[in-house]
Amino acid sequence: MSDVSKGEIIISRTYPTIGLDLETVVQPGLFNYPLANGEKAALLANRCRSCGRTFFPKRSLCPECFVDGEMEEVKLDTRGIIYSTTVVTVPSPAGIKPPYAYGYVDLPANNVRVFALFAGADPRTFVPGQEVDLVVEPIMVNKQGQKVIGYKFRKVL
Amino acid sequence: MRDVFVTGVGMTVFGKHSDRSLRNLGYEACLNALKDAGVKPREVEAGYCGNALAAALQGETGVGQNAFWEVGISGIPVVNMENACASGSTALREGWLAITGGHYDMVIVAGIEKTVMPKGTPLNVGTAELETKLGDIFPGFFACIAQKHMEKYGTTREQMAKVSVKNHYNGSLNPYAQFQKLLTVEEVLNSPMIADPINLYSCCPNSDGAAAVILCSEKYARKTNGRSIRIVASVLTSGIYDSHRDFSGFEIEQRAAKKAYEMASLGPKDVNVVEVHDAFTICEILHYEGLGLCPLGEGGRLIDEGETELTGRVPVNPSGGLLAKGHPVGASGVAQIVELVWQLRGEAGKRQVKNPRVAVAQIMGGSKDTDTKGCTVHILVKD
Repeated sequence: MSDVSKGEIIISRTYPTIGLDLETVVQPGLFNYPLANGEKAALLANRCRSCGRTFFPKRSLCPECFVDGEMEEVKLDTRGIIYSTTVVTVPSPAGIKPPYAYGYVDLPANNVRVFALFAGADPRTFVPGQEVDLVVEPIMVNKQGQKVIGYKFRKVL
Repeated sequence: MRDVFVTGVGMTVFGKHSDRSLRNLGYEACLNALKDAGVKPREVEAGYCGNALAAALQGETGVGQNAFWEVGISGIPVVNMENACASGSTALREGWLAITGGHYDMVIVAGIEKTVMPKGTPLNVGTAELETKLGDIFPGFFACIAQKHMEKYGTTREQMAKVSVKNHYNGSLNPYAQFQKLLTVEEVLNSPMIADPINLYSCCPNSDGAAAVILCSEKYARKTNGRSIRIVASVLTSGIYDSHRDFSGFEIEQRAAKKAYEMASLGPKDVNVVEVHDAFTICEILHYEGLGLCPLGEGGRLIDEGETELTGRVPVNPSGGLLAKGHPVGASGVAQIVELVWQLRGEAGKRQVKNPRVAVAQIMGGSKDTDTKGCTVHILVKD
C-alpha cells in the first residue's frame, strides 16, 4: 500500500467505479511486472543450486537432484535464438486476434527453450535461427475488458 | 503372462451425432461388440471406458457405467479412463493387463466421445496450460514440428498433403468414416491456412462416436466366435518433457515402439497393416519413422512411393485414419483396434488389405512442455 503521508505517489491501476484492474498478467510469477524504476523486464525461472539446471516455467523440485528447497529464482537472459515458428491465421480460443506468430526460443545463456509469442507488425517474418529479445507487453484484451500482459520476443534490430 | 485375445468388436459411424447422447453412442458400440463376440452381458467380468472430454464439454462423468448399463452390464468393476487422445487405448491396456495378469477372463473396453460443438464454439480444453493461455493451438504446435521435419529432412508440403489424400481415399471405402469425399493434393494445399504449414485439410475433424471391443483369455477365445485376434504387445509410455528435444521425431513413440516389438518378438519388417494417430498430416509421416516402418527422415519418401497405400508394402490407416474417419478423442484408440481386427479377419470390405497377419496401432495424447503426455502401441497377430 502507498503511504500518502510519506509523499509517495499513488499509482492506481484500478477503475475507481467498478473495482476491476485495468490490466492483468497472463500467469503470475512468469516475469517481473510491473517494473520498478530502472528495472528491466525478464522472465523468472527456477535454478537448482546443486546442478545449475534452469526451469521455465518454474518447477518446485529438480528431478535430477531431488533435494527439497534447492531452487532459487533467477532472471533469464533476454536474448534468444528462434528454434521454431508458426503463424496462426485463425482466432485463438485464448482470445488473441489473428494473424499472430509464436514458436520456441532457445536462451543459450540459461540453456532453456521457452514457448513464446513473437512481437512485431508482420508475424510472417520470423524464422528459425533469428536473434530475438524479450518484451513484456499486452497480448490481448480479455472478456472483462482488461489488457492481458504477457511476454513476447521481437527481432533484434 | 497369459495371452489376451480380442474376440468381439463394434463401433458407431463417426461424425456428427448431435441428437444422440454419449450413453446412446456407447450402447450401439458395446452391443455390436457383444453380438460380434457372441458373448452375453453377464459373462463380462469388468469394464474399462475411455473418454477424454465429457466432463469439460457435456458436464458428464461416469460415462462407462452409463453405457455398459444400457447393454445390461452392471454390478462388475467399471473404470473410467482419461488420457487425452490415448484415453481409449489406455482403457484397452487396462483390460489387457487385467486378463494377462489372471484377474479376469472376459472384459469389455469402450471408447466414447462427443466433441462436435455448435459452429464457432472453440473446444475449451487444456486452458490451464501456459502455452494455451499464450495462444497455442494444437495445429500450431504441429506446425512447429512440421517446420523442423521439413528443415532437417527436406519433407515437403506436397508429401504431407498426400497423407490427407490417401486417408480420404481410404475413408471413402469405409462406411464408418465421417468423410466420404475424395481430395486432391491441390485441394489440400489450397485449403484455408490454420497455422502455417498446417491448413484445414491437414487437420482431423471434431467428431462424435464410440467403439468397443471384448477381450478374453485363451480358454474363452476357443469358446466364442472362433475369430479371435491375439494381442501380442501392449505398451503405454509418458513424456520426459525435455524442452531441448529434437522436434523432428517423437522420443516417447520410438521408446513405446521399441518396447512393443520386444514384447511381441517381432520387428517393423513383420508388420502388414498399421493404424496411427494422424491428427495432422505431418503426424503420420513422423509415426512411419517412430514405428520403424522406414528410417528416420524417410517418411516423406514412404508416402511418395505409395508404400503406405492400401495396395502398398505396409498400408497405414486403411480406415481413413483420424483425418477421414474422424476423431472422437477418447474413442479413437479403440476404433483403431476395431479396424485392425476387421483387417486381420479379412472383414474390411472394399478397404481390405491383402492377407495381413501382423497389425500395429499407435496413438498418443495430450501436450505438455514440448512433449506428449502419453503414447500407446499395440501389436495384434492373427494366429
